[in-house]
Amino acid sequence: MGSDPQVEYQKRLKRYVTAMYNEVPDRIPLRIFAEEFAAKYCGYTNYEAAVNYELQFDINRRFAVETGIDAIQTNSVVNWFGMQKALGWEGITFPGIGLPVDSVNQWSEPTTEQAAFLKAVEYDLFIEDPTGFLVNLWLPRFTRHIEPAGRPVTFEHNMSLINGILAYDRFFTTWGAKTAELIQAGIVPAVAAVLKAPLDILGDKLRGYINLVYDLNERREKIIAACEALMPHLFNLVAGGADPEGNIPSIIWMHRGCVPFISHKDFREIYWPTLKPIIEELWNRGSQVIFYAEGNWDHHLESFAELPEKSIIFHCDKTDIFRAHKILGQKFCLSGGIPNELLALGTPDEVKAACKRVIDGVAREGGYIMDASALIMNDARIENVRALIDFTLEYGVYNQSGAGSASLDEIKKRPRSVSIDNPFDSKDPKRKPGVCIPWEEKRAELPKIVGDEELTRKTWEEVDSMGYRFLWVNLTW
Amino acid sequence: MIDGSMDHMSRILRQIYESILVGDHTLVRDQVRQALAESLDPETILNEGMIAAMKEVGERFEDGSCYIPDMLIAARAMQAGLEVLKPALVFAKVKPLGKVVVGTIKGDIHDIGKNLVCMMLEGAGFEVIDLGVDVAPEEYLAAIREHNPDLVGISALLTTTMQNMKTAVEAIHATAQDRRVKVIVGGAPVTEDFARRIGADGYATDANKAVNLAKTLIQ
Repeated sequence: MGSDPQVEYQKRLKRYVTAMYNEVPDRIPLRIFAEEFAAKYCGYTNYEAAVNYELQFDINRRFAVETGIDAIQTNSVVNWFGMQKALGWEGITFPGIGLPVDSVNQWSEPTTEQAAFLKAVEYDLFIEDPTGFLVNLWLPRFTRHIEPAGRPVTFEHNMSLINGILAYDRFFTTWGAKTAELIQAGIVPAVAAVLKAPLDILGDKLRGYINLVYDLNERREKIIAACEALMPHLFNLVAGGADPEGNIPSIIWMHRGCVPFISHKDFREIYWPTLKPIIEELWNRGSQVIFYAEGNWDHHLESFAELPEKSIIFHCDKTDIFRAHKILGQKFCLSGGIPNELLALGTPDEVKAACKRVIDGVAREGGYIMDASALIMNDARIENVRALIDFTLEYGVYNQSGAGSASLDEIKKRPRSVSIDNPFDSKDPKRKPGVCIPWEEKRAELPKIVGDEELTRKTWEEVDSMGYRFLWVNLTW
Repeated sequence: MIDGSMDHMSRILRQIYESILVGDHTLVRDQVRQALAESLDPETILNEGMIAAMKEVGERFEDGSCYIPDMLIAARAMQAGLEVLKPALVFAKVKPLGKVVVGTIKGDIHDIGKNLVCMMLEGAGFEVIDLGVDVAPEEYLAAIREHNPDLVGISALLTTTMQNMKTAVEAIHATAQDRRVKVIVGGAPVTEDFARRIGADGYATDANKAVNLAKTLIQ
């Protein structure tokens, strides 16, 4: 590095933004999603990273600074035992706690109707009031001790909420401070807010994939209505957390929305119509989204090409990156495409050859960000990840950057809507996005307000929106 | 008279076949019950009604005209029918096509892919012993001693647990030195090259290919 971290930060930010806007930067940006690999790189076990939330941030920063990459996610593993087990999340198992110390965080989902967090007969209840459903039924089922509405509470119930919410607050307060530290160290935080597709949320966190599959056959119209009911809330979350400057993209973790996990018809009729409008509205407001397309999305590239130019950065895991470049390359930046298996089992020379193939094939005219295919875990060899980075630092330099001396705004060159409306809100929702207990309801239980009522209302709505966010962040984690 | 009876039998088998294809588990259960009540041979019901339907589902998956959800609902319908049929199969001493021990490898607790393979193997007429997830090499060995299978299937979703597959394959081959018990591997990150390098006897990219592989290996 050598120079002032703030100068480096500005150079890296410009490099990252230029590539994401499908232009030619001075060099291919390195945005590495190092998950458990960051712990290995810094000499820690996965267990240590799982229980020590501050370590999760610090190891990513150290890895990024020492290797000279441009951007990294602020936190490495984004799952903290302290918070998740205080709340009593049942669906996650941590390394060293039920698994070997160098295993990775692993999720499980309901596989039977009995275990589902949303029962087949409860779709209407959910569709009518998703937030109410999360409070009354989902959170109690998703956690070990929290009791559903109407059931007697216990000591463990109360402590789950008290400890869990305090730990949640600690985790996200630290997130802000650690993001600032990352920037001070000259590294760009790779992502801002998180989005999930409505159908993925329904499968992963409400019904489980197996139950969802049966529903696709037996109660398809309920699935569509539930996805539509999720849209305003998922939009609210991602729009609320998006970078106001429009530099740092949000990210969607795309799970099982592709063939063969669902059919072409399911994609065409459910997955895409309930996701595409969210992406378009984010773009109207100047926010890009990284499509972190886990698995193989070859069948759907033509659909993604329908999106507005530059609105997404398409990340290739098992998707054929050369085909993706052919279909999407004119409109969008691509990233990834270096197989994780190669990082784990190959040699540095093999990794360099793979990087060269990808760079030569898709990055000649900019619009590419170097990264592995998927989150890098601790099976990757350090020398292989170094080979990926060092090769790109050297071979990924462009003779002439299209960005030149242009400012970030000039690179982005587009006006942004400043709308705060939620276009996906239904006309008369039982509970609006962002709200758990509306002011009118709260006002009715308060004594006479002699001061300016507007101040009290604002305070209440701010506090209530934090509760809303807590619930929905838990669901979409 | 004989022709009429044959037509009737064919019609019931056809109905079972069609109901499995569309994944109507309630109907399959009733139709198998009806077939048994009408004294149809259990093995014929199994082979010509049920296994034939699952084979068709597998072929449709291969040619891209059906998807994992179609396989899952068909497999559920098949299992609903099997629950009714099993006592009759046991009574008639109908032997399974082969016996397979299946489990997700140690350190890995993902089970959807493994479960789908189990369902498709059962749908093809195999007896399946499902060891669940996070299965250590010694647990595969214990299952081999207990069940004397023809095949062992090992699955992994994480690249970090793939290495444990090697340990398990070596342990199984070291124990069954005559190589009578063959080991097949699969899962999202597993490749044919990796399978060969760790000494597995076979590798399949999806549940349907795993069935075809299993059939080939037991011949």
